[in-house]
Parts: sequence; structure tokens; C-alpha cells
Amino acid sequence: MEIEKLLDVGIRAGRMLLESGAEVYRVEETMIRICTGLACTDEVDSYVTSTGIMLSIGYNGQVFSKISRIKNRNVNLHCVARINALSRNIQIQDYSLEEVEQQLNKIEKEPKYSVWMTTLFGGIGAAGFALFFDGGMLEIVISFAIGILIRLLVSLLSMMKMNDFINNVIASMLLAILSIFSKKVFLVIDVNVVVISGIMLLIPGLAFTNAIRDTIAGDYLSGVSRVMETLVCACAIALGVMVVFSVV
Amino acid sequence: MLVMILKAFLSSFFATLGFGILFNIKGKNLLWASVTGAIGGLVYKFCLYLNINDYVSNFIAALCLSFCAEVLARKYKNPVTTYIVCSLIPLVPGAALYRMMTYALKGILLKALERGCYMIGVAGSLAVGILLVSTVFKIYSRCKVKRESIC
Repeated sequence: MEIEKLLDVGIRAGRMLLESGAEVYRVEETMIRICTGLACTDEVDSYVTSTGIMLSIGYNGQVFSKISRIKNRNVNLHCVARINALSRNIQIQDYSLEEVEQQLNKIEKEPKYSVWMTTLFGGIGAAGFALFFDGGMLEIVISFAIGILIRLLVSLLSMMKMNDFINNVIASMLLAILSIFSKKVFLVIDVNVVVISGIMLLIPGLAFTNAIRDTIAGDYLSGVSRVMETLVCACAIALGVMVVFSVV
Repeated sequence: MLVMILKAFLSSFFATLGFGILFNIKGKNLLWASVTGAIGGLVYKFCLYLNINDYVSNFIAALCLSFCAEVLARKYKNPVTTYIVCSLIPLVPGAALYRMMTYALKGILLKALERGCYMIGVAGSLAVGILLVSTVFKIYSRCKVKRESIC
């Protein structure tokens, strides 16, 4: 049993999970499940925070460990579901290390939705929110258009790999400019509904709820770091909108 | 009344569907997740319609939504996260978070604090609702395993 390679596979699975937006406890459990399934040892332990992974394996009286730093995170629930299924299969069936590695490669290469698809459905999501916040027909159509433009800008900005804070400021400035512009053109619309529906695409309300979930579940460290993350992100968005509203 | 129900259902369905694509959910799961989200939004709006307190409405909606998600997860053998993450989207206190930050930047601290407390309350009631249902399901499946091992 090549224990170094096992460490690599375990860390890689954990890394893919955390970068796909899985919860902390799920990453820990899955890494332990993969390592205990592949090697006949029970001395496996993992420690995961929202910014890094540590995994250590005890084997034949020696201890091996590895650390991985996580910098960018987005949400890819398909990847989470696939790795979760893989880790459960490892416990039931006999897998070799190479097979698991191949499976991970396969999962990594699986196609995501194209930029145009996410752009279109970003617009549909924003339109849904406009209806949810009691907007009329006009607000829904405008939110749809603004949602599409914002998603386009966000995908463009994420390709340039800049700081997240700056990205959020720019995107929310665009949102504010567009909603003021549509107010000038259509006059009768409720700007608040349009702004809030657009902001729901950017704001990490979900991350905040997950932070509370983490905290209640006992992962205080990742709870606190996620709360910080959401506050910084919300601050950037509010800043962008306010700058535009105070100038115009 | 009927219009309200239809509106709540459709709006949360489309909001969840949009985020489901952004979160890269595939195939049948996408549809089920959207339906779960729609049920959550519907229950929330219906509770508000019955003049129930905002926090309690969120709590009840989270209970219904995570019950659906747990049942789906067990049926299709997927992690619960797949369904819960995007079906929570319509209920999540994003607007309150934005308002709080806007007030804070403007220097109206009392209002910022008020929005902040509201936001923590809503997020907390959602989290507790989800946790409660998942705990009940865990106890249920543990009892089931035990019963099978006895037989």
C-alpha cells in the first residue's frame, strides 16, 4: 500500500468537495471514509476549516499527514453528489487506488453548464425574485434583463481572476446604474424591487444561513469565518450600490 | 388567495431553478430541487397570509422544505445538500443583509442593528428547522438499522 498516494487521493477528494461548496462535516467524513475504505487502518483523522484541509493517516506505527490550502470556492452540487456516491461505493466494493484516481479525474472533467445557460438562468432567477417580492409585470421583465447583464459581468470578472471584493463592488455598481436608468425610462416601476431582485444574485444570504448551520452543528471556526466572508461581501455590494445612488 | 398561492409557488420555483443551474445541479435532481424550493416559498407566504410571525413562518417553511429534501435524498441516494442548498434560496435573508450593510455604511447604526438582529433571527430559524428534521431522520434510520440487525 503506497500510503503517500493514498494521502494524495484523500486530500484531492476533500479539496474537490470543499471547492464545490460542501459542508465542513461532509468533507471530513468523506475523506475518512475514502481512506479507511482503501487502507486497512483505523488511524485516520481529518481537520477541515473553510480555508484549509488537514489529513493524517497512521500506518504500521508511522504517521503520514498532508495539508492543503483552499483559496477559491464556488458551488457545484453535481460534483458533491458524485464524490459522495464514490466514497460510499468504496466502502461497499473493493476499489484500487488507481481506480479511485481515475474516477476523480472523470468527475473533475464532467462538463458544467455553459456560460450562456447560467446567464439565461441567472435572469430567470432574478425574475422569480421580482415576482416573490410582489413586483408587477414590468418589474419582472426589467429584473430579467438586469439579471442577465449582471451574470454576464460576473462571469467576465471571474475570468479575469481579480479580488472578490472588487468584483462585487463593480457588479453592484452596474446593478445600481441599470436600475436608475430603467427608472428614468419607465418612470412607473418600483426601483426597490428591481434592486433587491438583482442583489439576490450577488448577496451571500445562503452562505450566512450555512454559517449559522455550521455554528449550531459545532463547527465554530468555519462558522465564524463564513460569517466574516458574508459580511465583507455584503459590505462590498452595499458600497457599490451606495456610491452610484449618492452620485446620481 | 389562489392567485397568491400560484404566485408564491411560481416565483420560488423559478428563483430556485435559476440558482439550481448556477449551482450545477443536473438532470432530474434540478426539477426536484426546484419543486422543493417552491414548496418552501409557498409555505412561507401562506404562513404570512395567516398572520403568523415572520420567524415562525420561516421555521415552518424550513421544516416542510427539509422534510421534502430528506425524503428525496433517501429516494434518489443523493446528499441532502443537493436539494436543500438551492431550495433555501427564496427564504434566505439576503435582502436584510444588504439593508443592514447599507444602513451601517450610511451611519444609521440603530436601524443597521435592527436589520442585523432580524437577519440573524431568520437565518437561525431556518437553520434550526433544518437541523430538527435531519436529526429526526437520523434517529429514524438508526432505529431501522437496529431493527433489521435484530431480525
